[in-house]
Amino acid sequence: MAELTLDRLRKSFGSQEVIKGLDLTIADGEFVVFVGPSGCGKSTTLRMIAGLEDVTSGAVRLAGQDVTRTRPAGRGIAMVFQSYALFPHLSVADNIGFGLSLQRLPRAEIAARVRAVAETLQLGPLLERFPRELSGGQRQRVAIGRSIIRDPRVFLFDEPLSNLDAALRVQMRLEIARLHRRLRATMIYVTHDQVEAMTLADRIVVFNEGRIEQVGSPMALYERPANRFVAGFIGAPAMNFLAPGCALLAGLAVPAGAREAGIRPEHLALVAPGDGAGGSVELIERLGPETFAHLRLPDLPDTVTLRLPGDSGVEPGTAVALRALPDRVQWFDAAGRALAATRG
Amino acid sequence: MAESTPMPARRFDPWPATIFVMLAVLAVLFLLPTAGVVLSSLKTTHDISMGDLWSLPATLYLGNFREALSNPSVHRYLLNTLLVTLPATTGSITLGVLAGYVFAKLPFRGSNALFLVLVAGMFFPPQAILVPLFRMFNAVGLIDTLWPVIVVHTALGIPICTLLMRNFFATVPNALREAAIMEGASEWQVLTRVVLPLSLPALAVLAVLQFTWIWNDFLWPLIFTKSDDKRTIMIGIVNLKGQYSVAWGVQGALSLVASLPTLAVFLFFQRYFIKGMTMGAVKG
Ligand SMILES: Nc1ncnc2c1ncn2[C@@H]1O[C@H](COP(=O)(O)OP(=O)(O)OP(=O)(O)O)[C@@H](O)[C@H]1O
Ligand SMILES: [Mg+2]
Repeated sequence: MAELTLDRLRKSFGSQEVIKGLDLTIADGEFVVFVGPSGCGKSTTLRMIAGLEDVTSGAVRLAGQDVTRTRPAGRGIAMVFQSYALFPHLSVADNIGFGLSLQRLPRAEIAARVRAVAETLQLGPLLERFPRELSGGQRQRVAIGRSIIRDPRVFLFDEPLSNLDAALRVQMRLEIARLHRRLRATMIYVTHDQVEAMTLADRIVVFNEGRIEQVGSPMALYERPANRFVAGFIGAPAMNFLAPGCALLAGLAVPAGAREAGIRPEHLALVAPGDGAGGSVELIERLGPETFAHLRLPDLPDTVTLRLPGDSGVEPGTAVALRALPDRVQWFDAAGRALAATRG
Repeated sequence: MAESTPMPARRFDPWPATIFVMLAVLAVLFLLPTAGVVLSSLKTTHDISMGDLWSLPATLYLGNFREALSNPSVHRYLLNTLLVTLPATTGSITLGVLAGYVFAKLPFRGSNALFLVLVAGMFFPPQAILVPLFRMFNAVGLIDTLWPVIVVHTALGIPICTLLMRNFFATVPNALREAAIMEGASEWQVLTRVVLPLSLPALAVLAVLQFTWIWNDFLWPLIFTKSDDKRTIMIGIVNLKGQYSVAWGVQGALSLVASLPTLAVFLFFQRYFIKGMTMGAVKG
């Protein structure tokens, strides 16, 4: 049982407060992903949980115990760094067994446990190599191996895959998902990658400027963002934001207090000319299975993004008409808060 | 008109040639004394006093080396020098490592200012503290022992050792320290098991630097020791000028012998100069 609780957690560097009061409870065995813009404090939060950074005020509790002042190694938390942070002068085996050798366990036991971990991560043949002789993916696996060998209660990952190429990232993502299923350990994972966040997370925590904007399952955040920030942050390409009076929203009932409407690219549809708001295609992005069209509408300052099937023949410069699916439009008030859900 | 337009002649760039000549002259200037010592070490005293210094010896005379190496005082000098150089070298490097680690990885309020003060110690003329130091060691009765020499050399080595180690440690990624701490390492274990093994180049440079400097030092043993059996080799060489005559040949031979340990230390450690951070520290 390793429930992790952050209680009014704050952190200042000098006079600058970067974490402005976090309250969060992460259940035992849960996979939680932290997302948010650069500099919003994800790494700092992770490092406070790990014990690498002092907490200015508030508490970190692990399995009911206050570990705010416990030294990092005493918390039973492992961390995988973005840079891998492998020890360059040690072989793969010595890297993985580093923590155990600090505990002065018998050599034979260390060797056996290292071999067991290496097997599960397909590192068996690489044990005698040095980090410089490994590929990026292999290095990341060694870093994961080093973190799992001590059976930690909580795993922290700070953008572990961001140094890898796209194909390897997909592969390692699956491996981390498998690892989570097998170990059933609590995991906190920081990423900038929407796909990683959506696919790995039991719950996503959206950070902004040292605060939590919303916590929820990936689909909940996607479909029912609590505010404009979350709505704009989750989903790629981003949600379109429209002024309530524009032609695209003509005929929709505007809830009281609504200052802005949001609609996702897949909730816009092309219609016959005259049936919707007119515009012209400015740019086309073909991804294979789907195509994104960026449309210029006369009464909107920004282009509107629209998702089309991959085989759609729309070309830049074409005049089109489009409509929003009415029950998919989300409304936000002047403070950016989402107004009562408009769909059942 | 035609005369006034400059010819597009190929330019002669005088710099490479000038630099080459200057370097060659400097090299000769530096090598000449050594050559002189080598030549005189191979001649008999008689030959030296007869002929000029730069002539090649008629026969290869090794008696000077024999005489220098069989002299029991010389054994004592060499032993004393070793007794000073080894502890002072390890001592100053150890202190430099510890201070440098703190300055690089565990900064505290005011640590940068303190670092500057410490490094400024490098520019302190030793003559300025000579008399106070002599009085201090005299007061505690350590004059004419090797202790003051060891202590002073250790202390004077701290600035350069700290500077070099701090700057090298700063290049070791913080993530390595944090990874080790997450694995349960104490600060001491981070230093000894992660940071120091990665710092062999800096340690090697310091070992050579400090060993050579302390081994060759003339000033401090001259100040702090009196009796012949407490002297170090550099003073010993001068002492050999004996009661009867100036033994140029023996002095030359002993000078050569005395420079062998520093040469050996250099040759032993130079293999680590290039190694080190080529080890692919962090990223891919
Ligand atoms: N040691 C430090 N001293 C001063 N300010 C710091 C320090 N570490 C982080 N900060 C500041 O704290 C804020 C949060 O940084 P943090 O690294 O947690 O952001 P992040 O969400 O991880 O960003 P990214 O996505 O770019 O990694 C930033 O404004 C950063 O400048
Ligand atoms: Mg970060």
